[in-house]
Amino acid sequence: MTSDERLVAGESPSADEDTLRAAGFSPVRLLLSNEFGLIVLIVLFAAIFASVSPAFLSKFSLYALGRTAAVNIMIGFSMMVVIVTGGLNLAVGAIGVAAAMAGGALMQALGWPWPLAVAGGLAVGAALGALNGVLIVRSGLHSFIITLATMSIFFGVMIFLTRAESYRGISAAYAGFGRAKLFDILSPLLLVSVGVALALSVLFRLTALGREVLATGANERAAELSGIRSDRMITFCHALSGALAAAAGLMLVSRTGAAIPSMAGQLGQDWLLPAFLGPVLGGTLLSGGRVSVLGTFLGAFLVTMLTTGLLLMQVGAFWVQTWLGLLLLFAVLVDRARRSYLVRRKLA
Amino acid sequence: MNGARAGGLREGLRENDWFGPLLVTLAAVAIVTALNPAFLSPFNVQILLLAISVNAMVAFSQMIIIAIGQMNLSVGAIGGLAAIAFAGMMEVWGVPWPLAAVLALGIGLLAGLANGLLVATTGISAFIITLATLSIFKGVNLGITEAQPFYEIPAAVKSLGNDTFLGPLPWLVLPCAAVVLGLWYTLDRLSIGRAILAVGGNAHAAELSGISVGRVTVAAHALSGLLAALAGIMLVGRLQLGQPTIGDDWLILSFAAPVIGGAVLSGGRVSVGGTFFGVVLVAIFTQVLVLFSIDPFLVQIVLGVLILWAVGINRYREVRSRRRAGTVVT
Repeated sequence: MTSDERLVAGESPSADEDTLRAAGFSPVRLLLSNEFGLIVLIVLFAAIFASVSPAFLSKFSLYALGRTAAVNIMIGFSMMVVIVTGGLNLAVGAIGVAAAMAGGALMQALGWPWPLAVAGGLAVGAALGALNGVLIVRSGLHSFIITLATMSIFFGVMIFLTRAESYRGISAAYAGFGRAKLFDILSPLLLVSVGVALALSVLFRLTALGREVLATGANERAAELSGIRSDRMITFCHALSGALAAAAGLMLVSRTGAAIPSMAGQLGQDWLLPAFLGPVLGGTLLSGGRVSVLGTFLGAFLVTMLTTGLLLMQVGAFWVQTWLGLLLLFAVLVDRARRSYLVRRKLA
Repeated sequence: MNGARAGGLREGLRENDWFGPLLVTLAAVAIVTALNPAFLSPFNVQILLLAISVNAMVAFSQMIIIAIGQMNLSVGAIGGLAAIAFAGMMEVWGVPWPLAAVLALGIGLLAGLANGLLVATTGISAFIITLATLSIFKGVNLGITEAQPFYEIPAAVKSLGNDTFLGPLPWLVLPCAAVVLGLWYTLDRLSIGRAILAVGGNAHAAELSGISVGRVTVAAHALSGLLAALAGIMLVGRLQLGQPTIGDDWLILSFAAPVIGGAVLSGGRVSVGGTFFGVVLVAIFTQVLVLFSIDPFLVQIVLGVLILWAVGINRYREVRSRRRAGTVVT
C-alpha cells in the first residue's frame, strides 16, 4: 500500500486480517460476523418499531420501506465496487443525477421509448465512471481527489445543460414501474436490487474477473506481478460504479415520476452517507481486497429501516441525519472492537 | 557567482509553492482588467476581498488537516453549526454579539476536538470519522433551526460583515490577515507547526523522534474546527442572516485552494501563501464568470477543472524532483 492509499484507508488490515483468515470457520466467527449482526439488528429494530407504532408493519409502510431500500442498496453497491479496489468514488451522487437527467432528457426531449432511455442513462453513468477510472489510473493520483474534482465537473455540466430544470414528461409505463405493487406489498424496484446483488455475488465469487478485482484491491503490486492488469481492473470498477449509480438515479426517476436535478442535493453530496453506510456496516474493508455483497445489502436495508422507523416515531425529521451519523460512528467502533476481539481470541 | 545566486533564486522561486499561484493571479488580474477595467473598481475589489476573506478561512481549515495527511469532510458542517449558533444565540437569547462570537468559536473548537479525539483514539480513518460527524453536526444544525434561517442579526454585525474602513478594504480582511500571519508563524516557526508537518510527512518517523502523533492530530483538528467556525461567523455578518445552509458548498473549495497552493494530499507539505493565492485565484475566476455575464452555473465546472489542473502540476513536479534526485545519487 502506498502512502497515498493509506491516506484514505488509514488502517492496516494485514496482521488482524491474516490471523482472521487463518482462523477459518468457527461458530464464534459466525456469530460475530457482520451479516449475522446486521440480521439481529434488523429483527431487533423491526420489533421495537412495530411495538411502538403498529403502523410500521402495515402493508403500505412495508412497501414504502422496500422501495426506498432498493435505491439505498443500489447506492451502497455503487460505492462498494470501488471500495473493493481500495479507492472511493465521491462522484456517485453527481453521476447518479447526471445519468437520471440524461434518461429523463432522452424520454422527454427525444421521445425515446423508456427501455432505450434507461439503457442510455446507464451508458452515461458507465462512461462517466470509466472517465474517473482512466483519470485515476493515468495520473497515478488517489481516487479521492480525482472524484472530488469530477463530482464538481459532472454536476456542473449537468446543471449547465439542463438549466437546473426538471424533466417531468417521464413515460407513464416507466413511472408505473416504480409505483407498481407486486402482491400488494413488494416493489419491483426491490427485485431489481436483489437481481443486481445476485449478479455482483456471482461476479466476486465465481468469475476470474471478480477474483482479479479483489486481488488488485488487496495488493496492487502483487496482483500486477502475478499478471493482472490492475489498471484495467480499477477502470472497470469505476465504470461499474458509474453504471450502478446511474441505476440508482434511474430508479429514483421511476419512483418519483420525474428527473429532478436536486434529487441528491448540492453536487450529489446527499448520497455520500448512504453510499458509505451500506458497505461499512456490511464489513467491506475500506483498504480494499474484501467485499460483502450480502453485508452491503443488509447494511443499506438496516439504514433505510432506521430512517423510516425514526420518522414514524416522530423524533423530528430534521434529527434523522444526526442519528445516521451516530450510527456510522457506532458501526465502525463496533467493527474495530469485533476485529480486535477475534484476533485476541485467536492469539490466546 | 552572481549568476549562480540568481540561478539559485530562480530555482528557489520555482520550487516555492506560493510563487506559481502568485504569478497566475497577477496575470489573471492583468488580463481581466485589460478586458474589463471595471474589474478593479472599488466596489468590485470590495466584493472580491469579502469573498477572499471568508473563503480563505474555509481553505485554511482544510489545509491544516491536509498538512497531517488526513482530510476533514466536516469543515462545512462545523462552519454551518457555528454560524447558526452565533445567529441563534443573538436572536433567541439576546447574547451580545462579541460573546456570541466567542461561544460559537468555542463550539467549532469542541467539534474539531471531537473529530481529533475520535481519529486519534480509535485509529479509524479521518475520512470515515469526519463523514459521520459531518452528518451529526449537520443534523444538529437542522434539528435546531428546522431549516429556517435566523433573521435578527444586530446592526453592528451586519456592518462589520459588509462595511469598509479604508477605501475598498472591508473589516473582514482583518481577521483573515491575522489568521494568515498566525498560521504562517505557527507552521514555520513554532514547534507545534513543525510537529504537524513532521506527522504529515512521516507519522512513524515523527513518533520515533518524540512527537506525540495523537496530540498533534487532536491539535490540528481543533484548529481546523476553530477556523471553520470563524468562517461561519464571518459569513453570518456578510449575508446578514443565520442561514442553516451555510457550509453546504464548502467541500470542493476547501480542497481546491490548498491543492492549487501546492499542498500534497498525503501530508507534510502545505503552503499558507500558496493556499491564500489559491483562494484568490478561485475568487477571481468566479468573479469573471459574473463580470462577463458568463453562465454562473459554470463555477462548479471551473472549480473541478482547477483541482485536476493543480493536482496534475503537483504530480508533475513531484515526479520531476524525484527523477532529478535520482540523477544526483547515481
